[in-house]
Amino acid sequence: MGVVEAAHNVRVLGSGETTVVLGHGFGTDQSVWKQLLPHLVDHYRVVIYDNMGAGTTNPDYFDFDRYATLEGYAYDLLAILEEFSVDKCIYVGHSLSSMTGVIASIFRPDLFHKLILIAASPRFLNTVDYYGGFEQEEIDQLSGAMETNYKSWVSGFAPLVVGGDMDSVAVQEFSRTLFSMRPDIALSVFRTVFNFDLREYLGRVTVPCHIVQSSKDLAVPVAVAEYLHQNLGGKSVVEVMSTEGHLPQLSAPEVTIPVLLRHIQHDIVDA
Amino acid sequence: MAAPPTSGTTLNDLPDVILSNIIAAVVDVRGRNSAALVCSKWYALERATRSSITLRANLRDLFMVPNCFRSVSHLDLSLLSPWGHPLTSASDPALIAHLLRLAFPSLTSLTFYARNPSTIQLVASQWHNVEHLKLVRWHQRPQVETAGDELKILFSECGKNLNSLDLSAFYCWTDDVPPALESCPSVSSNLTRLNLLNPSFSEGFKSDEIKSITKACPNLKEFRAACMFDPRYMGSVGDEALVSVSVNCPKLSILHLADTSALSNTRGDPEHDGFTQEDAKINVATLIEVFSGLPLLEELVLDVCNNVRESGPALEVLNSKCPKLRSLKLCQFHGVSLPIESKLDGIALCHGLESLSIRNVGDLTDMGLIAIGRGCCRLSVFEVHGCKNITVRGMRTLASLLRRTLIDVRISCCKNLGAEQSLKALEPIQDRIESLHIDCIWDDGTESGFDLNDSFDQGEVSNDENHFESRGYNDYYDAATIENPSKKCKYSYDLNSSSDLNGYENGNVYGERTWERLKYLSLWIAVGQLLNPLTNAGLENCPNLEEIRIKIEGDCRELPKPSEREFGLSNLVNYPRLSKMHLDCGETIGYAHTAPSGQMDLSLWERFYLIGIGHLSLRELDYWPPQDRDVNQRSLSLPAAGLLQECFGLRKLFIHGTAHEHFMMFLLRIPDLRDVQLREDYYPAPENDMSTEMRSDSCSRFEAALNRRQISD
Repeated sequence: MGVVEAAHNVRVLGSGETTVVLGHGFGTDQSVWKQLLPHLVDHYRVVIYDNMGAGTTNPDYFDFDRYATLEGYAYDLLAILEEFSVDKCIYVGHSLSSMTGVIASIFRPDLFHKLILIAASPRFLNTVDYYGGFEQEEIDQLSGAMETNYKSWVSGFAPLVVGGDMDSVAVQEFSRTLFSMRPDIALSVFRTVFNFDLREYLGRVTVPCHIVQSSKDLAVPVAVAEYLHQNLGGKSVVEVMSTEGHLPQLSAPEVTIPVLLRHIQHDIVDA
Repeated sequence: MAAPPTSGTTLNDLPDVILSNIIAAVVDVRGRNSAALVCSKWYALERATRSSITLRANLRDLFMVPNCFRSVSHLDLSLLSPWGHPLTSASDPALIAHLLRLAFPSLTSLTFYARNPSTIQLVASQWHNVEHLKLVRWHQRPQVETAGDELKILFSECGKNLNSLDLSAFYCWTDDVPPALESCPSVSSNLTRLNLLNPSFSEGFKSDEIKSITKACPNLKEFRAACMFDPRYMGSVGDEALVSVSVNCPKLSILHLADTSALSNTRGDPEHDGFTQEDAKINVATLIEVFSGLPLLEELVLDVCNNVRESGPALEVLNSKCPKLRSLKLCQFHGVSLPIESKLDGIALCHGLESLSIRNVGDLTDMGLIAIGRGCCRLSVFEVHGCKNITVRGMRTLASLLRRTLIDVRISCCKNLGAEQSLKALEPIQDRIESLHIDCIWDDGTESGFDLNDSFDQGEVSNDENHFESRGYNDYYDAATIENPSKKCKYSYDLNSSSDLNGYENGNVYGERTWERLKYLSLWIAVGQLLNPLTNAGLENCPNLEEIRIKIEGDCRELPKPSEREFGLSNLVNYPRLSKMHLDCGETIGYAHTAPSGQMDLSLWERFYLIGIGHLSLRELDYWPPQDRDVNQRSLSLPAAGLLQECFGLRKLFIHGTAHEHFMMFLLRIPDLRDVQLREDYYPAPENDMSTEMRSDSCSRFEAALNRRQISD
């Protein structure tokens, strides 16, 4: 077994002409796709993997420098595609991994038929003219919580702050999965997530993008989906599902799975 | 250098033969381990005489299995690491199996994790002469060609001496059993013990299946099976099947038939009147016939989940037809004790009983309870569940009547017997009781104007019939004086005042209560409730309490954030000898990651429940995390891992769920921790592929790290 394969718990399932690659968001692991997978394996070759830092990977492999920006994760994705000789794939990414896919497609557009972005956002913090969903105070509270947990953990005490302690409901929901990571990795991922600003890079994307999200996801306002649609360099289409929450593939699979399948199977029509 | 003391003879001077017998007689594992550390001779003797062992190695290390345990007759392989992985996934399974057989030549009894048919084949082929087998599987039953194939493999390989088979933890279908038994008559006619009491069955065995199983195994002495008693299903177990059991297997000494719904141990509703909509297809005449056919019966359990009405006469017959009966458990049997005046009837006539459990008896009143107390005068274990009409009075009278023998009591789901009431009722045996279950339902204290000062009898209560004839029952309820109603005066702790509990309460002082001999306590509590009221409810001092089991049940999705920060485990510091705990949040349901906005997820609840656990000096802990049913996940959260890591004296920790590797690594901070395992022993155990389970590499890394440390004792 190759190093990349073992480190990322990569699995290749099903068979078909086209390859579909599934990337999960932070704080979860590949099991977040368990409802979708059975519907894909009959028609597609599916490559599924765990991001570094996920609970199911060896925490020693988490390189804090590499993963300080999303490019580190993008390089991982490209390494996996190379290891398994994937020459062109449909990439389905959730949350952070959707942005990872975007970056990877800028580096190597030749490797991607199209990207399916679930609950994607190029920047979470609000600015004067951009609504990302989170205010600085909310993020500061979360930052404090992450640091408290980190300090407890380092000193041998129990890290006791959980997402539910945050005041903002948006932060609660978004950070739920963040609080299931090891405290030092969680702190690092937190900083990565709330520091990145990919708005500048959206114009360089050439690959078609299908933007899918819940109508009520506190972490990703619907306005963000529209912003992506307007600013992505290539073709894009938006679908807002009648679901709630940041993990619709787990919390409402009966709505989400058919939508995803449709986007995987059909391409964007030229205008 | 000091000269060795020239003492007299020591234990070591005994001849080896005698010493070996002495060491062989030591059963407790820690005792044996200590003996083995004395000197090399004792080590050799201990190893050579050990009779039962559970292997806890990692599959990849199994080739190092030690050869010194030549006398081991019972071997448990079901807990190898990674838990639930089949033996066939080891790198060289045939070699491993062979080495195991060589290491344990005297094996007669074997328990192993039968994950799939090839594992069964591998293990069974090594031990042809085994007499007792227990198969364990919590993972889903794999696809097999025909029903019963796996058991047929088993019987063909090691059926020769097999006389006892336990499938109570083996995930299979009811269809698998009868064909296998019928196809191997030489094996089935040899069986004396058969345990088919398996909660994984979606429906229990039907009437025909019970008939064919018992027909195939006429020599059964112990038969336990999960049945389909519900009359709405075709072919459900009723009169015919029951009679066939007694006709086919007359040698039965233990008979245990339970409806599958009873096995899942779900709590009923205390408001329910105890009568189900449909009656079972079992009538009294049948019961009499069955009891007549089983004269050797010692233990009987009929966990029927539909009404069996007016069962009193059948139970009266039970006493005469089954004179050896010591243990009885009945669910949904009505009319078990309906005394008229002071004449005993029903169960109360079974005076040989030592253990009695009655559940959901709709017409049981205090009178009935008292009759039981009078009639079953040897009772040492008593359980009552789901009886709406009994109160403190009846329970307390029962306790006083059985004062000489009663040491194990369980009261659950009885509307009038919450925590405080149950404890009041058990005051007469406060100094004798060793094992107790109560529901932590906290009432506000004011109950009926029933005054505890009023003693039923000063001195011994005799079971003499004449004595009772002359007094009416009303004398028991002489609630004349109500001077000091339920207001408690909390006096400062004074050993002398509270020790005067050998008789009943005299005087008006509610001092702290001491439960001198209580060793084991079991509690049920609804999700969201606090544990704090426990000590004030009556359990102030339990100086010898060693083990506690707490089951927390309910749906926290419907609840707001808990108002208090902690559930109250720290209150248990009051019990100085507490060292073992089972904390079962497995029936607490909530959201893991998928909580809708504004709702609390399970990490918050786990924190609520576990805060304070580090203050107790626990040495052994079994923990069931709460579950998210929608995604079949029972997983440790961050605060839970952190709080568990605070149990500094912990030596053994078993988590009945899954956990990330980095959370398990927190546990390495506990210095003396030596035995940890994730055991997904619930149906169905999550398959490796699609769940947040510890992968086998993660498991091995964790265990390697755990085992690398120095153990101080």
